[in-house]
Amino acid sequence: MDEASSSKTMNSSISEMSTQRMISMQRDLTAAVTNIQTAADARESTRRKELQEARQRRLELLEDNARSSQNKAEEIFEALSSMKEKVIPQELQEALNTQQNICTLVLEDKDKLINDLQKELKVSDDRFVKDLRRMAEELDLMKERMEDQIKTLTEAYREEMSGVERFCLQEIEVLVTKDKSEWENHMKELWDQELERLEQRKEKVGEYETKIHHLMLDNMDKESIIKIEQDANFQALDVENQKMKASTMLMNLQQIKQKNNVDVHNFNLSQMYERISSLQMEIKKLVTKFSNQAKYLRDTSHHLKKDYKRILEQHERVQKKIKHFAVADAGRFKEMWRMVEAEVTLLVEKALAIDSEICVKHLGLAWDQPVLPFRELPGSIRPKQQTNTDLHPQLAQTQQALQCSGGAEDTSDGASSEAETTAGDQEGSDAGLEEETLVAVSHLLCDATGLIQESLLMLLSPLEEDVQMAMKLGSSLYALGLADKDFPKLAHFLLKYRQEQSEDVSGELSASSDQEEALIINPNQVLIALKGFLQQHKGSRENSDQSQSSVLQTELRDSSADRVYWESLSNIITEDKVRLWEAAEESLQQHLVVLTEISELDIEKESLEQENTELRLLLQQSLSL
Amino acid sequence: MAPALSAREKEPPGSGPKGPDDCRRLRRIIAEDPLWSLALVPSLSHLCLKSFVRDFEGLTVYEQLSNTEREFIQERLPPSLPLSVTANVIEDGVYWKRCCKQQWDLCDVSRYGDSWKRMFFERCLEGVIELFIPGVTEPKKILEMVPLCENYVKRLDISQLLTPIREPKKEEEEEDNVLGLENDDEYDGPQMNHFDFSILLEKLICLEELHVAYRVKQCGLNYEGRMFEMNYKDCVSLAKALKSCKTLKLLRLHQSNIDDMKVQILVKQLLGHPSLKELDFSHNVIGDVGAGAVAKLLTKSKLEVLNMCDNEITDPGAKAIAQALSKNSTLVSLNLRLNRLGDEGGRAIAEALMNNITLRHLHLGANEVTGPTAIALAKVIAQNNTLKSINLSCNNLGEDGGKALEEAMSHNTSVTECDIRLSEVDEQIVSSINQVVWTNQGLGQKG
Repeated sequence: MDEASSSKTMNSSISEMSTQRMISMQRDLTAAVTNIQTAADARESTRRKELQEARQRRLELLEDNARSSQNKAEEIFEALSSMKEKVIPQELQEALNTQQNICTLVLEDKDKLINDLQKELKVSDDRFVKDLRRMAEELDLMKERMEDQIKTLTEAYREEMSGVERFCLQEIEVLVTKDKSEWENHMKELWDQELERLEQRKEKVGEYETKIHHLMLDNMDKESIIKIEQDANFQALDVENQKMKASTMLMNLQQIKQKNNVDVHNFNLSQMYERISSLQMEIKKLVTKFSNQAKYLRDTSHHLKKDYKRILEQHERVQKKIKHFAVADAGRFKEMWRMVEAEVTLLVEKALAIDSEICVKHLGLAWDQPVLPFRELPGSIRPKQQTNTDLHPQLAQTQQALQCSGGAEDTSDGASSEAETTAGDQEGSDAGLEEETLVAVSHLLCDATGLIQESLLMLLSPLEEDVQMAMKLGSSLYALGLADKDFPKLAHFLLKYRQEQSEDVSGELSASSDQEEALIINPNQVLIALKGFLQQHKGSRENSDQSQSSVLQTELRDSSADRVYWESLSNIITEDKVRLWEAAEESLQQHLVVLTEISELDIEKESLEQENTELRLLLQQSLSL
Repeated sequence: MAPALSAREKEPPGSGPKGPDDCRRLRRIIAEDPLWSLALVPSLSHLCLKSFVRDFEGLTVYEQLSNTEREFIQERLPPSLPLSVTANVIEDGVYWKRCCKQQWDLCDVSRYGDSWKRMFFERCLEGVIELFIPGVTEPKKILEMVPLCENYVKRLDISQLLTPIREPKKEEEEEDNVLGLENDDEYDGPQMNHFDFSILLEKLICLEELHVAYRVKQCGLNYEGRMFEMNYKDCVSLAKALKSCKTLKLLRLHQSNIDDMKVQILVKQLLGHPSLKELDFSHNVIGDVGAGAVAKLLTKSKLEVLNMCDNEITDPGAKAIAQALSKNSTLVSLNLRLNRLGDEGGRAIAEALMNNITLRHLHLGANEVTGPTAIALAKVIAQNNTLKSINLSCNNLGEDGGKALEEAMSHNTSVTECDIRLSEVDEQIVSSINQVVWTNQGLGQKG
């Protein structure tokens, strides 16, 4: 420590010394510089003092000079004033001379003064120049000194720095070596101590190890004993614990189950609620849909009603039209009929005239006029209300045909009576159409016609008879293309047919035969009868359609009746007559040929006669000549 | 951009782009070029900044840039840019350093508060004023500078002021001059005015220091007495200007041939100036009346430094100053070197210092004071503890004065400078005084 403090003090003393040295150096150098300035100042002040003194001297000199010259000037003026009094020229001359002398003296004096001043000026000029030069020199010197100062100071500082550095380094080295040795000593001591301690520790560790071993063994024994006891206890506790656990588990399970049930119920309930709500929604939807649909349907029905009305109107209009057209057509038809009939009657009359001529003139026979049916029925277009009353127009037609083709016989009354009887028959049969006959007819149809398919029969076999019957009848009717309502008609027809047949075959004899037997027609004839019925049915249906369509038609025309009528007209000239007419034509032809020859010869003869007359004339002329 | 272009140029000329495939190939070639380096590609921001530098006048985004970007720009902007563009945009920094270095060889930025911008503008303005020729140069030229530099100019050190150019007929007038001075004065006065500071100073809102010397440098054989003096009108205009400049702290009017009347005019306007701290009328011809005016100023302002060295003050002036000094409590430094106070003046000042506790520096060098003043000052030194430096060099103090000073100094611990060179004092006394001063210096350093 003492050494350190001493070094410190040494250090500080050195630094102090160096700083003092530096300060003194600085002072000296700055003094060297400022000395010049102060010297200049001093010189300046002395110069000024001198200048002032010189000025004062100069002023005094000038004053003296001025005073002396003043005196002299006064002398001169006095002399001048005294000169005026002088009369003698010599005196005057003298005075003038003296005056002049004095003047020259004054002038000389002035000149001298001027010279002096000029000299002084020159001197001061020189001095000024010298001063300037010296000042410049001094400035240069100052600069030099300042530079020197800077240089020397920097050098000094550098030296000092290096010295201090060196010193410090040495010091540091010394200290470092000292510290190192000290450190090493300390370390050595420390190591020794450490080693000792380590050995002691080792010994102690050995001791402790043996102690610990013993303790461990003891403890092991004790521990094993305790362990066994504890095991036993533990097992007992374990058993108890498990029991407890089981019971708690059961409790828990029950709780959980309850909870679960509640949850499930809640869940179901919520689902139901949801479903209800969804269904309600659906219902609402459906209600809206229904209302929409109803509205739509109402609208459509309204539209359709309108359409229907419109169509009805249209229909009425069409019917009116049809009626109108029908009336018009009937009118036209009547006209046409009359016209054609007139034409035909004309032709017939013509033909009959020709026939009569041929008969009378050619053959020389007596001609008897044939019966003309149309003359009896001049407008064959006559109302046919009577036929309309008939349910079976066919019969009426046949009757008409018979009427038409009846010839001369007057059968109209008979026919009408017959028609009336048939009608009455029919009515009677209609009324008498009992169930029995119907059943019989159905049996007949079913058994005989074979209209029913085998498969159907097979299917029907297990059923009751009545039912079977009904089914068979239905199917057969279907096969025939008839409706159920046509069935009674069919039965009626069949009955009538048999009557006709029996009339045809056996006349009135079998007509009164037992109905029971007669009902069962010969099965062989059934098919033919059916065919006839079907044709008739078809026609009747057409007629019924026609009649329905022309309910309002006033007259019912039948082309078949007309046809007979027209045929009768066309056959007014019979075959025989035609043959006769042919023969007559032949003979007439021959006659014509002869006649033509005659006519030709006649022409020849005429020409010859003319020639003859001409020749006679010529002869006469010639003769005359 | 440049590296990319060069890389492209290095390729064979036939491999120009002919479609998308070719473009891809081209790119591949660039990538395989061993000379190609992505580091050479300047970043877009660099390119932008470069273009910004090229076209600085037209852009106004400088304020939005970061500091590094600004430095980048400052290092590259040409110093030839017009000041109207750069003055109020670019802050103090590298750009102004470059401008200064380009214009002047010697650039001691420490004199300008380490601000290159301030240095640039101050020196610019000084240059313009120093070359201002009244009647020839238009004042507009200076006034144009004002809005650019008003925020940066703190000091104006004007070392010369030119006079108007003389016309050839001046020679005749000079003949008249010989005949009648007064007439000439009246006639010549307005023409011989120097630069009128009143138009400038009130606009420089930061101006703190003003150094003016009414003289012409390097006039050569065109020398005229008028060139080296401040005439009456100059004085009036300057006084007005000084009054208008509220921020001024230091005024230095040296080597301008200022006489008592001009000092009176100036002081009249400076009375009650709010900020003036330093006044320097050194190297003029101020007499006792001027000294009296300055003394009045001392009582009515906060002057801290007064330098009246190399004037013509004698004992009445010194007495006036001493009277002011005894009342003043702000003045720190008083320099009356190279005057002619004489013993009476010296004694008056010493007596004033007995009551003053603020003055620290007193310079009475080369003042024709002698022993009595030294004895009086010795009393002050013995008593006063604020005085730090005393300069009595170049005065004939004599043995008695030296002894008195030595004795006084032995009791003093505050004076760190005492200059009594060339004052006819014993070497021993000088050395003993120096010893005391040095110890005091040591004390001061330690304290």
